[in-house]
This record gives sequence, C-alpha cells and structure tokens, in this order.
Amino acid sequence: MESIIFAVFNGVLYGMLLFLLASGLTLIFSMMGVLNFAHASFFMLGAYFAYQISEGLNFWAALFIAPVIVGLVGAGIERWGLRPVHRYGHVAELLFTFGVAYVIEELVQMIWGRVPVPYEIPELMSGALFTWQGFDYSIYRVFMLVVSVAIFVALFALLTYTRIGLIIRAAVSDPVHVATLGHDIPRIFMWTFGFGCALAGVAGVVGGNVLGTEPAMAIQLGPIVFVVIVIGGLGSLGGALVAALLIGIVTRLAIFYDYGLGSLFLSLGLEIDTAGLLRDFTRITTAQVAPVLPYLMLVLMLIFKPRGLFGTRDV
Amino acid sequence: MNTLLGRLTPWIAGAAVLIALPHVFTSGFALTLMSQIGLLIVFALAYNMLLGQGGMLSFGHAVYFGLAGYFTIHYLNFIYEEQVPYIPVTLIPLLGGLVGLFFGILIGYVSTRRAGTTFAMISLGFGEMVTALTLVLVAIFNGEDGIQTDRVLGEELFGITYGPNIEVYYLIAGWCLVCTLAMFLLTRTPFGRISNAVRDNPERVEFIGYSSQRIRWLAFSLSSFFAGIAGALHAVNIEHVGFEQVSVIQSGLVLFMVYIGGTASFVGPIIGATLLYFLQSTLTGVTEAWVLYLGVLFVGVIMFFPGGLAGLISMHQPIWRARARLLAPLLVPYSRFLAALIVCVLGCIGLIEMLYFRSSRLSTETELVIYGVESDPFSAGPWLIFAAAAALGAFAIRKTYPGAVSAWNTAIADARARPLG
Amino acid sequence: MAVLKWVRAFGITLPIVLAAFSARGADTVKLGLIEPFSGPIAAVGRDTLEIFEFFANEVNQRGGVLGGRHIEIVPLDNAMNAEKTTQQLRKVIDDDIRFVSQGVGSNHALNIIKFLTRHNRRNPDQAILYLNHSAVTTSFTNELCSFWHFRFDANVDMKVAALVTQIGRDPSVSKLYMLNQNYAYGQAFQAAAQRLLAERAPEAELVGDELIVPFGKVLDFTPYIAKIKASGADTVLTGNWGPDLVRFVKAAAEANLDVAFYTIYAGIPSSVAGIGAKDGIATQLKQVTEMHENDALYDQQPAGLLDTYERWRQQTGKSLYSERMRWTIEYFAAALDKAGSDDPALVAAAMEGMEMEGPAGLMAMRAADHQIIFPMVISTMTEDVGRPFIYDGEDYGVAFATDGWIMSDAIELPTTCEMKRP
Repeated sequence: MESIIFAVFNGVLYGMLLFLLASGLTLIFSMMGVLNFAHASFFMLGAYFAYQISEGLNFWAALFIAPVIVGLVGAGIERWGLRPVHRYGHVAELLFTFGVAYVIEELVQMIWGRVPVPYEIPELMSGALFTWQGFDYSIYRVFMLVVSVAIFVALFALLTYTRIGLIIRAAVSDPVHVATLGHDIPRIFMWTFGFGCALAGVAGVVGGNVLGTEPAMAIQLGPIVFVVIVIGGLGSLGGALVAALLIGIVTRLAIFYDYGLGSLFLSLGLEIDTAGLLRDFTRITTAQVAPVLPYLMLVLMLIFKPRGLFGTRDV
Repeated sequence: MNTLLGRLTPWIAGAAVLIALPHVFTSGFALTLMSQIGLLIVFALAYNMLLGQGGMLSFGHAVYFGLAGYFTIHYLNFIYEEQVPYIPVTLIPLLGGLVGLFFGILIGYVSTRRAGTTFAMISLGFGEMVTALTLVLVAIFNGEDGIQTDRVLGEELFGITYGPNIEVYYLIAGWCLVCTLAMFLLTRTPFGRISNAVRDNPERVEFIGYSSQRIRWLAFSLSSFFAGIAGALHAVNIEHVGFEQVSVIQSGLVLFMVYIGGTASFVGPIIGATLLYFLQSTLTGVTEAWVLYLGVLFVGVIMFFPGGLAGLISMHQPIWRARARLLAPLLVPYSRFLAALIVCVLGCIGLIEMLYFRSSRLSTETELVIYGVESDPFSAGPWLIFAAAAALGAFAIRKTYPGAVSAWNTAIADARARPLG
Repeated sequence: MAVLKWVRAFGITLPIVLAAFSARGADTVKLGLIEPFSGPIAAVGRDTLEIFEFFANEVNQRGGVLGGRHIEIVPLDNAMNAEKTTQQLRKVIDDDIRFVSQGVGSNHALNIIKFLTRHNRRNPDQAILYLNHSAVTTSFTNELCSFWHFRFDANVDMKVAALVTQIGRDPSVSKLYMLNQNYAYGQAFQAAAQRLLAERAPEAELVGDELIVPFGKVLDFTPYIAKIKASGADTVLTGNWGPDLVRFVKAAAEANLDVAFYTIYAGIPSSVAGIGAKDGIATQLKQVTEMHENDALYDQQPAGLLDTYERWRQQTGKSLYSERMRWTIEYFAAALDKAGSDDPALVAAAMEGMEMEGPAGLMAMRAADHQIIFPMVISTMTEDVGRPFIYDGEDYGVAFATDGWIMSDAIELPTTCEMKRP
C-alpha cells in the first residue's frame, strides 16, 4: 500500500510540474481562443534568461526578472505579430505561433550556441528536505510544488474574484459590449498574452534547471503540454490541473508496476510469437512505453469524450 | 472543342516540362532534387486537400506518408524473399496509397470528429505516438536505423529496371502528373465543393442534409491515400525509410510548403513544394541560418500575404484577364517596392550571417564572405553598412508600399470597369 | 510578382553559392564529409568538420600526400535527414569525389554503406570509399560488412566490453543497474552487456535492467531513480546520450543517489555542458574513450604530436574529445601514400591490416572486417585537475582522471564478417 502512495506522490510532483508548464497556455486559450504553439518556446526563453541572470545576479533575481522579460517579449509578439493575423482566423493564429516557435529556437541557438548551458539548481535548495523509501526529496522539488500550487490558486482567484478577471471573461464572450463600456479590447488581449507567456517564463525558470536548458527543449516539451490541455478540456484551468495530475500519476504507476503484454498473454494461456514482426508487442512492458501513455490517453479521451474532461466549448 | 483544348493546355505543358527537365539538368544531384520535388508536390497537394480545401490543420500528416514508406520497403523485401505476390515497382505506389488510405480511414474516424484547433491537437498527438512507436517497435520499424531495400526487382515493361535514377525520375514524374490530375478533378466534383462548404460553414452543410463529419472523414482518407502514394515514391527513390519520415518535423515541412505556396489556389502547394525544397537543398550547404530564414519567411507570409505566393499571382489574374496592358502602370511602383524589400532583406541577411559567424564560428573558418565580399564581423564597418541597408530598406518599404497598393487598386478598378475580352 | 520572387531568391543564393565554390584548390585529394551542419544537432557536425579540417591541414603542412598533393575536406550537409544523405551521395558522384567520411547517426552510416555497395557494384570504375569515424552499430563490421567501409571507432560491443572489463576490476561494484534507450543502439548495448557481464564481471549482480523511450521523451527520471534506490544498486551502466543521459544524471544527483555511472558518452561537449560539474562529480560519471587529455600517456606523446595537441586547444578553445578523427585522417593519408594512388580500391587494399602507433600502443585495422582495434581508457569526471575540459573557450571546471586502460586483446571481439572483395 505504501508503495502505491509513494508512486502517487511522485505522480503529483511530476503532474504539478506539467500543470505549471500548461497553465499559461490554457489561460491564453481560455481568454483569447488562441492556441499558442510557441508556448514551450517561451518556456525555453524563460530558462535561458534565468540562466543568464543567475550567472550575473542570483536565482531569486532570475525568478522575478526573467518572467517579466518573457512576458514583455510575448506582449510585443502579440502587439506586432499576432494582432494583424487575428482577422484571418484561429487557424492562421495557430500557424503564426508555429512559425514563431521555429524563429525563437533559431534565435536561441544564435545567441547561446547549440550545446546546453549549465543552468543549475541553486546551492541553497539542493539539499534533501526529507527522505521517503530511501529516496531523498530535495528542497527544490518541494519548492517547485509550492510554486505550482501558488500559481494555480492565484490564477483561479484572479479569474473568479477580481474585476480584471471579470472584464477579461466578458471580453471573450462579448467583445463589442465590453468595448462600448470603454475598455480597450486589443490592449487587454495583449497583456493577457504577455501574462500567459510570463507564466511559461516562470515555468522555464523553475523547470529549466531540472529538465536541462538546451535548444531542443521546446520541441521535446511542446507536445506533452498540448496533451495536458486537450485532455483537461481546452480552456479549463481546473481541467488542466486534473489532467496534469492524472498523467503524472498514470505514468509513475506504469513505471513502478512494470507489466507487459507478454505476461498478460501468458496468464490468458495464449501462444506468444517471439520471432515474427509483431514480437515487440509481446516484449513491451508498461515502463518502457510510459512516456507514450499520455498520447494514448489523449486518443481514448477523444473517442469517448471529445471535449476533454472539463471542456465547455468546441473550437 | 476550343475550351477543352484550353483546359488541357496546362496539363500538356506540364507533362512536356516534366519530360524535358532531366535533359536540361543532367547531374545526379539535380535528378534526385527533381525526383524529391515531384513526390513532395504530391504530398503537398494531398496536404492541401485537408488544409486549403477542407479547413483542417494537421501537424501529423507525415504519419501516412511515412507508414506507407515503411510498408512499401517491407513489401519490396518480402518480394525478394518470395513471401508475397509480385507487384511491379511501377505499381508499388498504388500499394502505398492503399496503406495510407487504410490508416487514414482508421485514424481519421477518430480525429475528424472535430475540426479546427481540436483536430490540430489530435493530429499532433497521433504524430507523436507513431514516431515514438517507430522507435520502440524495432522488429517492424528498426528504430533509428530505419529499413532499407533494393528497388531493382528485375526487368519490367520496355526493359525498365529502376536501377538508373533517370527511370525513377520518370516513374515519379508520371505518378506526380496522374495524382495531380486526379486531385484537380476531385476539386471539381460535388465532393470537392461540399468539402469547401464544410470548411466555410459546417452548420449550413448540416442543414442541407450532409454530415460534416462524414465529409471531413472522406477528405481525410482521400488525402491520406495520396500522401501514401507520395510516401511510397519516396521509399522507392531513396530506398530507405526512417523515423524522420513520420516525425512532426516532416509534417511541419509540408505545412510550410503548402502555406508559403498558398492554400487558396490549386497550384499553391506545387509552387511551395518546388521553391522550398529547392531553397532548402541549395541553402543548407551555404548558410547555417537557413532554418531561421525559413521561419521568418513563413511568419512573414502569414502576416502579410496570407494567400501565399499563389495568392499574389491570383490577385493580378483579373487584371491581365481584362487587359494585359493594365499591368504596365504597376511596373514602376512595384519595382520601387521590390528594390526597397531587396535592400532590406540583403541588409538583414548580412547582419544575421555575421551574428552566426560570431557565435558559432569554427577556428578553421578564418573569413566570412557575404555577397562575394570578405566581411570582418569583428570590425564596425560591415555592421554599419548592413544595419544601414536594413534600416534604409525598412524605411523605403514604408514609403513605397502605399504606392504599390494604390497602383494595384487603380488597376483592379480599371479591370472591373471593362467588360471581359 | 512570383517570377520576380524567383529572381530574388536566385539573386540571394547565387552569389553565396559562387563564393562557396570559389575557394576550391586545384589538384587535391577530396574527402567528402557528410554530417549535419544545420538543424538541431549541427553543433556535432560542425565540431567534426573543425577536427577534420585541422588535422587535414596538419597533413598538408607536413607536405601532403602522394608527393605533395593536399587533402581537401568537402563539407556536405545532410541536416540529419536520410534523403539528404542520399542526395549528397549523388552530389559526391557528380563532383567525382572518391572518398567520403561520416559518423553522426548510424542510420546515415547504414544508408551510405548500402548506397555505396550498390553504386560500386554497378560502377566499378567510379568506386567510392567510406571512412566511418563514429557510427558504432556492430553489424556494420559483422553481417553487414563491406569492402568499401572502414570503421575508425570501436563498435558498441567493444565499448561495452571495455566498460564491463573495468566493472569486473572495480571492487566497489557489487550490485549493478542497467538503463538503456529502447531503440537499435540501446538494445545492442543491453544485449552485449548481458552477454559479457557473466564472463567478465561475475561478481557484479544485475539488480535491474530497464529500457526507456529514447530521444528526450522522458522528462522526469525520478521514478527510475527511486527504482534504482530501491534495488540497492551501487553502480549504473548506461549507453544513454543526449538529453536522456543529461536528465538521468541530473535527477540522480538531485536525489543524492550514491552510485557510480558507467557510460559511453559522458565526455562529449553537450553532455558535460548539460550535466555540469557539480552533478557530474557527485555521480562519479565515467566514460570510455580512446584517449583523454589528463592521462599520463598524453604528456608522453612524441614532441611533435604534443605540440599539435596544444595548438588544437589554443586555436579552437576546445578539448580534443575525438582523437579517433585524427587517426581517420592519418590512416587515410598513410593509405594513400602506401597505395601510391588515389584509386579507392587500391587505398582500401592498402588500409587493410594497416598498423599505426596510437596514444597507448599499436592500433590495427583488422583486415577481416575493417574494424580498427585499439586500447581504450575508462576515466571519471573529477575536479579541475591538469587540463580542464574546455569548449568554445569556456572552462567547465571539470576534467577526467584515468581509472584504467583496457588493452586491445580484451576489446577485440570475434567477427562474423564474410568480406566480399572485388
């Protein structure tokens, strides 16, 4: 029993990291209807800025400065890039961010080179906070968890209880009326986009030193973040949280409880093909395919509940 | 009779060009390049059945291209081992198409239930999943190494063996022409029209009694069929298929080709595939920064020319249809604008090349040659010159752009004022 | 407009293309180098190009080959794409280049071997010879062996043999955990280790044997670390490279996992830069290479070579990671001179069985399968001692210290190659 709790706890830690990555993306989508393909690229920018700032100053300065810079970059891209494209529709917007992801990746390589940069966990937090089942949990792991929870709470409160949240939500459903009330819709969208990018920047600062800061990180992280928000239901903050935790826990369980199709077939008394082209299917175990499971979950979800867990609208 | 001849003219001309090309560009490199372009045209047109005609943005269409390639290579190898019935290489692409169709029907059933952003995300999910499986299922896909074959099965009609590359080129050219014609005719059928309608307004399509989901599924399956043909041609041409053929990178490349070429017109993907693959093949060896240029070009097209290159052409179609002479007043304002654009682009390229040289120069590279002139990126001179060119060009673009637009406005107004003929 | 766009595209490309081709020498022996020079892993290809050009230049400075001709390296970008590799091979034929080299990516190596086997059979007068400097798939010198392929790096099995031999010598190893990438290379590593451990390190108990989805798909390695911890392992043996190695090692260091890591690729620049000094030293990261800069033998090299090594560090600001690429050039030059001709068939014949003095004794190009045999060294990442590890002028504050040499006889494995000679 304790081992299950252990696996679930690890899943929560990983899931909250995924949520941190996805929070800005789902925010931008719920507010603007734009799926920001370059989200992981802003995450990467956050990590690189954090590396640069912590070289000069320290990690804490980076934690506050880097997201601001990423947010400003994002707001600038919205103002001079995305806004003119807005009139061509959502597919053009998605394509635009797809192109931006390419450009950001190349610019990062041009500035910081093509090999990873040594962005490391601050010395202060690398020590162990507690040990469970012989496994040391560093202060930094728990710090990441705290940051993710704080961001979820803050976002939820911001959207539900503040005036800004109210205006933003109104601007999505009825831009004309909100504009006649004297609110500058394009500006709201610009800062919303910037804020979402800044959240990606926070994730970059906090996650970059754990995942490794290198030019290919955006390509590697991008797809899984999309899986999180699609399973959760596009635009639903709570859905993204649940989906991230679900993915975290399922993949951890798959690794800890390593079952294979082969043993399943054996227990069912079926013959196993160990030489032919299909031999890999019997050899594969859940631990080996754990990173692919989220995509399988995505497909199953779309077959049985195309709107995702908490999705309210189609796009 | 006249109109039929008029309609056939572009096809006959296209066939003539395809036949003549290898006699103009005879090197092996050019032949491979043209063969690749030929099959990429099929792939791009298939992709545009989704994006341009059906309004479905896919980030994973290489799945059908690549899986057909894997199947083709396995099938050729099985023919050697005499485990399967013999099929001449000439007809192998059809087999690839059927494989694409099979997976298109299967995956399309799930993924076409929603359009728009959801569809795009599902396609990405399938793309990632299949790429991961190609690495894990070693017996079928052989991981990173991919699988190989020898395309020479023996003599076919007229003593063709497909050993020499020229024969493969003509195989690809033939299939390219047939597929292009088939896809063109498809746009003229009721299905093609209703597919456009599903893109523009699925609700109304439902009102008149069609299932928009069924239409999307059909379009998706047919598109996968042609993507499969392209994948099989690729397998025959390169005699290898690996995980990069199913990967999201390959899917992204075809998206770039189609969008830059233009999604709204039938020839857009043809232009895009030709131009992009040509640039990619020639520029990679010359500059490190070509991916950056490609990304900037793509973003630029989305922002300023959403119709793509073909859109630029068709903007002027009404003018020369009405009277070709109306194009004359466009010449001066257009060349002014173009000159400004060229100066700006040349300046920016200079700056980018110098930046790259400074950040990732090899010690064995001692000099940087830009436009045939040695430019020292560690002195101020070249930086000032290129920065000045970029700034001057940008300024001139702002100045000349309104002139070009108003000239076009005048011309189009004149053209509309005149009766056709 | 579209026509003008075309003209514009030509206007930009043409001058650059012309500039790139104008620097060609007159009577040189051309060696085409097919590697990724653009795209995400261009750094690896460009580093290779730098080493090849540097050491080709050394040969040329000494007086060249075949009585004064120079070796010219012709870079050919494959952008890490199979179809580009094929396309560049056709360009090699067009330009009448008779020697090619490649090493980044076994898939491309396999393509080149298959392509050249077909081409050389159909066009014996225009045969092309392939010098493989780094692609390690064992079958290239076993069942897939070809007369036109020579390998200058140890294959996976040989590298695993070296690692396992050292594990057998290391008294601190009692429980061993294996984790590898689930694709052809990782599975080959796993299979070789399973086979060799029993005979060479019988003391070491295998307490875990895991495969993971490769190429950066695993973001979080903590569950694997927890499993390793639970198994009580004191040593990890892994063939991982790239982000799969970097994240693995970083996660282990973060969880204060007290194990030693035996790897193949810990010392390549992207690994050192990604893992960093602190985590690398904490996990006692070990690598297997042909040489490293802090070995005692380094300073005992002939004065001329030592001088070249130091010049390399000075000029490039990089540690010389791939000594084998120097041999590739040296073997090429020596074989050209021995054959007295630049005919690939004669050069290949001259290269068979050729011996050369390496950093730690004699190396031999085994005639039976065209696999080079040489001693290898296991080294551990330590604090900055002697020559620090540098890349692009940056000092990473680490170095490698020798654990032990594995001599040729322990590395040489039998081959199943049945060479078909023309």
